Amino acid sequence: MLAFHLLAAFSIASALVLFSVMVYSGRRMTTLEETRMLFRIGPIGGILIGAGIGLVFLFGVILAFSDDRFDIWDGWIIAGIILWAAFAAVGQRTGKYYTDLQKLTEQDGNEAEVLARLRAPTGALLHLATVGLFVLILLDMIFKPGA
Amino acid sequence: MRPDSINLAVFVHVLGAMVLVGGLVTAAAAALIGWSDEAAGLRRFSYRTLLIVAFPGWIVMFAGALWSESKEKLENADLAWLGIGHIAAEGGGLLLIIALILGGIGQRKSRGDDVNGLVKASSIIATFLVAVYVVAIWAMGAKPT
Repeated sequence: MLAFHLLAAFSIASALVLFSVMVYSGRRMTTLEETRMLFRIGPIGGILIGAGIGLVFLFGVILAFSDDRFDIWDGWIIAGIILWAAFAAVGQRTGKYYTDLQKLTEQDGNEAEVLARLRAPTGALLHLATVGLFVLILLDMIFKPGA
Repeated sequence: MRPDSINLAVFVHVLGAMVLVGGLVTAAAAALIGWSDEAAGLRRFSYRTLLIVAFPGWIVMFAGALWSESKEKLENADLAWLGIGHIAAEGGGLLLIIALILGGIGQRKSRGDDVNGLVKASSIIATFLVAVYVVAIWAMGAKPT
């Protein structure tokens, strides 16, 4: 079960790396055509993070119940679940920001507006917060504070 | 439960592995999506991701692996999961370097948006490495004997 939990976590991490590269590259885009090209790889990240978020929680809970060393009410597991919920909520907001931007790009929106939104700090900061929460979950899962 | 002294090394190892796998997935996705594009934009994006994200990730993952192995005193242990990890880390690293060299030569040789066989070979290696590391992640979690 730990193997599946790990694979699901890596699926999320892969999506976060993909989105990080997109956010960084997006800030350097100069035309609408380049931006459209960049957004073509976005759906892969969407699939990875969508599947990963659900599965990591499912396998994590099964693991907590099936492994004698852990209990679902252990402090570090509760902290992990709270961080997971915060991660999902912030991630959803980040996803909405960039999905709206992708729609604008595909509908031949104003080039200047698209590029300005790609360079605006809002999306990048939301993404940074999502990555930060994921790293906190990783630290919690590895160090298991209080266990 | 691992002693806390080992956890930092494991954290470095896992974080590096996540960046490595994420970089490989991104590079492979961009290469496959842009495979038959006339414009070379996504293929260049794929190569740059391999170089700037996946390769540094591999270095951190490998350093973390050696560090945690020495902390856990597993250098001479004969364990199947550790063997799979070594093959994936060392063999995968070698393949990654080959992919970077092929892709680098391919990028230099390609004219404008011309598709180059070497760049495609580099993308195929990156895609293969994603599969290799999925097996390695499974082995690290399942710890087969």
